[in-house]
Amino acid sequence: MTHEHDKRDNLDNDCLEAFDHLYAYLNGELKDQSKVAMIEHHLQHCRSCFSRAEFEREINQRLKKTDTQSPPSSLSERMKKLIDNF
Amino acid sequence: MNERNDNKAFFSRCMNEHMASLYSVAMRLTRNSANAEDLVADTATRAWCALDSLEDRARFRPWVFRILHNGYISDYRKQSVRPDETLYDELAYDDSEIAYLLIQQPDEFLSWWANPEREVANKLLGEDLLAAIEDLPEAFRVVVVLINIEGLSYDEAAEVLGVSPGTIRSRMNRGRTLLQKALWQHAQDAGFPR
Repeated sequence: MTHEHDKRDNLDNDCLEAFDHLYAYLNGELKDQSKVAMIEHHLQHCRSCFSRAEFEREINQRLKKTDTQSPPSSLSERMKKLIDNF
Repeated sequence: MNERNDNKAFFSRCMNEHMASLYSVAMRLTRNSANAEDLVADTATRAWCALDSLEDRARFRPWVFRILHNGYISDYRKQSVRPDETLYDELAYDDSEIAYLLIQQPDEFLSWWANPEREVANKLLGEDLLAAIEDLPEAFRVVVVLINIEGLSYDEAAEVLGVSPGTIRSRMNRGRTLLQKALWQHAQDAGFPR
């Protein structure tokens, strides 16, 4: 436990702050330009965070391409009847 | 009569446009195709009855997703929880703890990821990724699905779930952290990095 606390004390605060905003940044949801600049600067200088960001970026790309599960034809027919009767 | 016909035409068009997404989200929530079908049908009925409450027709999508999610909570959630699934205590970790857990991830994984065997990478980011999403606690799973798969914005997801954008951001951080940890475990289970 002492060792873990020591390690935690030595964590780079820049890494923690960058991580706090990383997903919003990668998802295009970080509106504060000063924070965008902070993250981009950090990723240019921190190999671990850069690697982590690249991994997360690839996950984002894969998730975007995930096929939407096609509804069964029974649902389409059911919906048509439902709406026709509204 | 003309107004009703116009409303019906608009509603029918929108439901057709969003049916695949609604069904997909319903499946990820209920984990059962019959329940997902029923949930979408129930959503259509509720949405039609509440159409007057839709103030901006351009926001049909988050509005109807909200109806779907509320319907899931009230009518289907109990059936969807797995026997070994417990409600993830969102208060169990704060953001600095989550950051700490992620920072502890070995650099060797990230180094290996820089040049993984292509077959391993494809599996990790294919079936392993989807399996890991299915295993996420519901609060985080639904955020990842709505935003990263269905393409909603943080504001839209907040509207769907009835929470603040800050809560969405927090759940996204936690969900994606757990996802990365799960993928790291999958890689280790497969014997990587060697």
